[in-house]
Amino acid sequence: MLSYLIRRIVNAVITLLVVTMVTFGIFFAVPTITGSDPALLYIGKTADQASLDGIRTKLGLDDPIPVQYGKFIKGLVAGRDYASGNDVTHCDAPCLGYSFKTEQEVTPLLLSDIPVTLSLALGAAVLWVLIGVATGVLSALRRGSFLDRAAMTGALAGVSLPIYFTGQLALLIFIHWLGWLPDTAYTPFLENPASWFTGLILPWVTLAFLFAATYARLTRANMLETLNEDYIRTARSKGLTERTVIGKHGLRAVLTPLVTIFGLDFGTLLAGAILTEQVFNLRGLGYQALTAIRQNDLPVILGVTLLAAIFIVVINLIVDLLYSVIDPRVRLG
Amino acid sequence: MVSKTKAVAAAGVAVALGLTAACGGKSDSSDSKSNSGGKSAYNAAITSVVNASDKKGGTLNLWTAQDADSWDPVRGYYAFVWNMNRLYTRKLMDYASAPGKDGLKLQPDLAASEPEISADKKTYTFKLKAGVKFDDGTPITSKDIKYGIERVFAQDVVPGGPTYLINQLDQGQKYPGPYKDSDPNKLGLKSVETPDDTTIVFKLKDPYADLPYLLAMPGAGPVPQKRDTGKQYGSKPAASGPYMISEYQPGKSLKLVRNPNWDSSTDTIRKALPDAINLTITTNAEDLDSRLEQGTADIDISQTGVQTKARGDILRDPKLKAYADAPATGFIRYAAISTKVAPFDNVDCRKAVIYASDPTGLQTARGGAVAGGDIGTNMLPPNIAGSDPSYDPYGRAQGKPQVDKAKQALAACGKPTGFNTIIAVRNNKPAEIKTAESLQASLATAGIKATIEQYDGAQIASVVGSPDNAHKKGYGIMIAGWGADWQTGTGYLQALVDSRYILKNGNFNLPEISDPSIDGLFDQAALETDPAKAADIYKQVNQKVMEGAYYLPFVFDKALNYRNPRLTNAYVHDSFGMLDFQALGVSDGK
Amino acid sequence: MSIGPEASITDERSAPTDDAAAVRGTGDTAIAGRSLKQIAWRRLKRDKVAMGGAFVVMFLVLLAILAPVLARIWGHPVNEFHGDQIDPTFSTPIGSFGGISKDFILGVEPSSGRDIFSRILYGAQTTLIVAVLSALVSTVLGTLFGLAAGYLGGWVDSIISRVMDFLLAFPQLLFAIALVSVLPQSIFGVSGRWSRVLVLIGVIGFFGWPYIGRIVRGQTLSLREREFIEASKSLGAGSRRILFRELLPNLAAPILVYTTLIIPTNILTDAALSFLGVGIPPPNPSWGGMLSDALSYYTDDPMYMIIPGVMIFVTVLAFNLFGDGLRDALDPKAR
Repeated sequence: MLSYLIRRIVNAVITLLVVTMVTFGIFFAVPTITGSDPALLYIGKTADQASLDGIRTKLGLDDPIPVQYGKFIKGLVAGRDYASGNDVTHCDAPCLGYSFKTEQEVTPLLLSDIPVTLSLALGAAVLWVLIGVATGVLSALRRGSFLDRAAMTGALAGVSLPIYFTGQLALLIFIHWLGWLPDTAYTPFLENPASWFTGLILPWVTLAFLFAATYARLTRANMLETLNEDYIRTARSKGLTERTVIGKHGLRAVLTPLVTIFGLDFGTLLAGAILTEQVFNLRGLGYQALTAIRQNDLPVILGVTLLAAIFIVVINLIVDLLYSVIDPRVRLG
Repeated sequence: MVSKTKAVAAAGVAVALGLTAACGGKSDSSDSKSNSGGKSAYNAAITSVVNASDKKGGTLNLWTAQDADSWDPVRGYYAFVWNMNRLYTRKLMDYASAPGKDGLKLQPDLAASEPEISADKKTYTFKLKAGVKFDDGTPITSKDIKYGIERVFAQDVVPGGPTYLINQLDQGQKYPGPYKDSDPNKLGLKSVETPDDTTIVFKLKDPYADLPYLLAMPGAGPVPQKRDTGKQYGSKPAASGPYMISEYQPGKSLKLVRNPNWDSSTDTIRKALPDAINLTITTNAEDLDSRLEQGTADIDISQTGVQTKARGDILRDPKLKAYADAPATGFIRYAAISTKVAPFDNVDCRKAVIYASDPTGLQTARGGAVAGGDIGTNMLPPNIAGSDPSYDPYGRAQGKPQVDKAKQALAACGKPTGFNTIIAVRNNKPAEIKTAESLQASLATAGIKATIEQYDGAQIASVVGSPDNAHKKGYGIMIAGWGADWQTGTGYLQALVDSRYILKNGNFNLPEISDPSIDGLFDQAALETDPAKAADIYKQVNQKVMEGAYYLPFVFDKALNYRNPRLTNAYVHDSFGMLDFQALGVSDGK
Repeated sequence: MSIGPEASITDERSAPTDDAAAVRGTGDTAIAGRSLKQIAWRRLKRDKVAMGGAFVVMFLVLLAILAPVLARIWGHPVNEFHGDQIDPTFSTPIGSFGGISKDFILGVEPSSGRDIFSRILYGAQTTLIVAVLSALVSTVLGTLFGLAAGYLGGWVDSIISRVMDFLLAFPQLLFAIALVSVLPQSIFGVSGRWSRVLVLIGVIGFFGWPYIGRIVRGQTLSLREREFIEASKSLGAGSRRILFRELLPNLAAPILVYTTLIIPTNILTDAALSFLGVGIPPPNPSWGGMLSDALSYYTDDPMYMIIPGVMIFVTVLAFNLFGDGLRDALDPKAR
């Protein structure tokens, strides 16, 4: 168990290193190719040569890219100083540098966005797992019934609808026409749980609809397969109630593969619900990422990508560990 | 140096995100209350003071969907930040508090009177008022003002704001700013002298009649050296005005409270009516609009216009419309036609573009007559002295493309069948992209085949702002927008048309106009301390620019803004093209 | 399967876990030989839903091909402005329902007054081309790498598998946006619409290959140990012959199914990129771009949002139905 854990963690760290390297490569190599100067981006409108040079030394933009990368990693682990002459700025670990645009430190900037995206992803995830699994199980048990067909048609529609369409439809109907909800907005949970809920319910439902469709289809397929397995037949023949058979034996086998998919979905969702945040005017990581990309704000892009990759990698790790708990067949060695 | 940010900021916000909510309470109760002063009507605040009142108290609820670039007076460049700055920073001179053209006049603020100008117009001497103090009770001295101005020079530490003062005051000294100043008192800038605590003397190399306008910018406000925290100064700047920043949470909120050491008897400009001013920074522009309609927000301080949904609500509902204004923002949206990219080196080819364009189409692309602005006819915005919107050399105001004239111009240019060119446009400005599409479509009818090339809007300074690059890419037509940092012909036009302002990077003279007679007119204006005579000179510049067909003006920009009926003393200040924040009060005392 | 977490169809994600089922399927393939095609075709023909999907797909392809003709008959030139159809104050169409009329059968675009019908048709062109060609790119890359990993095994396998895992655990939409936005506007001397189409095909295709790659690798791994491969080997067949003559034909069915199923995902991704402003550049129409424009008009002019939205929905749904049917037909046990 322990050695497995260590191996997985080492793997995760390597993956993250590669992510940073690729990102760093793309975004710091591209300016050199296209001939735009990051120092110019940083200083903005007032580009006299002296201050440009100052900025360049301070950010270490004159160093070769591998050296810059090394400094970046050092900043991440131990913090770093930006120095030009006697003008020194210290940036604590984990240091992701300063935004070219706002000059804010990237780390706190991103940390303040996490609650938004996390709220969005968590709320939606709870909904889609509950709805998706329930629909899938019911459909499988009443195979061929009206409910089954309706649910599966709905699910197929769900996977074919992009959120940038359903989101607008939802806004139009529930906020504009019916006026049931206030505009979508993020209010911190601790500040006002009620407006946290009302401000996010529409994005949750819209997002959950997409994912629930997939989960319903998968659950149904797995359930049907499981119901044909020998051990279910054995369980039934033992005279166990249908509820016990389904709940105890069937569901477990159905949920196991779902965990992997859930991990992947949740990870990528945390990594930036770019489209959702764009449609619903929420400013979380996805919005931050999009803005940063549009403004060529390299340190922020790098930070978001890294954070996103961390989410995905960590959640995958958790999923793998969970697996050993849910599915006794999986042995970690 | 060029006011890119101001342009970017205003244009950026106009872009807008999603949509709005249930348009509930129209707050009839506040309707009745608001009648204490003059009755409000659509656009009333542009020409008059709506609800004039001296009633103190209450809290002003300001909102914005865009945070400030910085509250540090030397670093802010957004127009609304300059407007907010009047609440907590006083300058030697500041704009009068009055609607219309009267607001463009400078009044002595910290200065006791107008400056004493030497006969050669190169030395400006100001005397300070007695009894002016910072929020901590220390008196404001001429040295604090000099120190504040020196901070403008420290572009490596506190960049972001305008740098016009460097151009006028450095005079070859290469002053590095106070942080690297070898002078023990950090007052090493030679062109500014402080013989005593109440006198400050500016010595120019060449006459520059607009100097007082530069000194009215936030960056010329006093900064006590002891309280200067460099980069961090913006989180708690020293206050000289009636309010001080008590709390700032970036991206969330700003709170201003009364400055106990501000003495109203020393201040002839500011009213300081509310007891407190809260600014909420939201993420959802739609939500902000519904709050305005419901009366839970007083104004949107970005003042760049409501979103599409609220625009419909306001214009369709007379009750709401009575509290809306669509003032000119002082911006012109335009296409610059490069004189260095063939065939636009020929004036007739440039004229062909102007004639072929569809004035109404471009106006609609900008948002229509109300939210977008009036059809642009020339290159001086209506709020600047010397402007005349009825000066319309290309007959644009009638609203239709003039294909025949375009074809004549093409023939005169030697390209009767048309030609190919490229329209460069920022990729992050949907309205600009729409104007590019409209222009492309109407040019095609005259045989001019234009391809639209989008570039990274964040890099404007190095893409179209670099003449070398623009030539290399063959950008014949470049779409942009411009607002003045101070409302004179020099403030608006010089960077756009003076050949000496063609920069290797961050250039805004995009057509690369190089006309000695235009440059000469600016030199004449620099000597002219009488605004009326200067206005005459700017009129001539404008005519020369239009005759050269360097620019195709789309619209004189407007923004439809809504204000809470409970606001008192509401009027549009012409130097910002937005409500004068410092004058606002609330009628219900809440 | 997708670049976008929010634009995803997760069905295919189950692929790695249903290796077992797929193996059974290819077992059939090996035994049934050529007649599988006929069996599958008969099954497919009986599947009304799938045939409906196929019919819609063909109809859409036809629309795209005939776009210039249809636009001339029932529409207006795609980039022609019609300012007279637009209310100058609100920038929205004057007519109700987005300005739908005899002249403009799907209404006009807010602000410009361009004909939505024509723009939908031309949008279909780019959407379908990008989706199909990028699916092919994914398939070719996925098949090559999957085959190599599965057949060669050893370090080649571990490197390719690692890369695939890495790409799957990656903020892909982010990267696609970033890549598309930094790549130059004109490549290989092509500019404007088609250069961006190439870029989109490349980027979407690239991020899609690991899904195909994993499936092909899994299949190859199991096929490699089969008797018929052993037999070929013992008869002295070279690697190339085994790969292309023995393995590839047996992989054809799953590859076909998953290629079909990637297409709808690619449509969503393509539209998502256009929605975020890094897709097909204006003035060229794209469905995603229309939806993104619609965001500022949807309260005043909902039709402008509904029309491209429904088009995306119908197209994706049709491909999904057809793809599902194809999978059922080729491999009934997979369901």
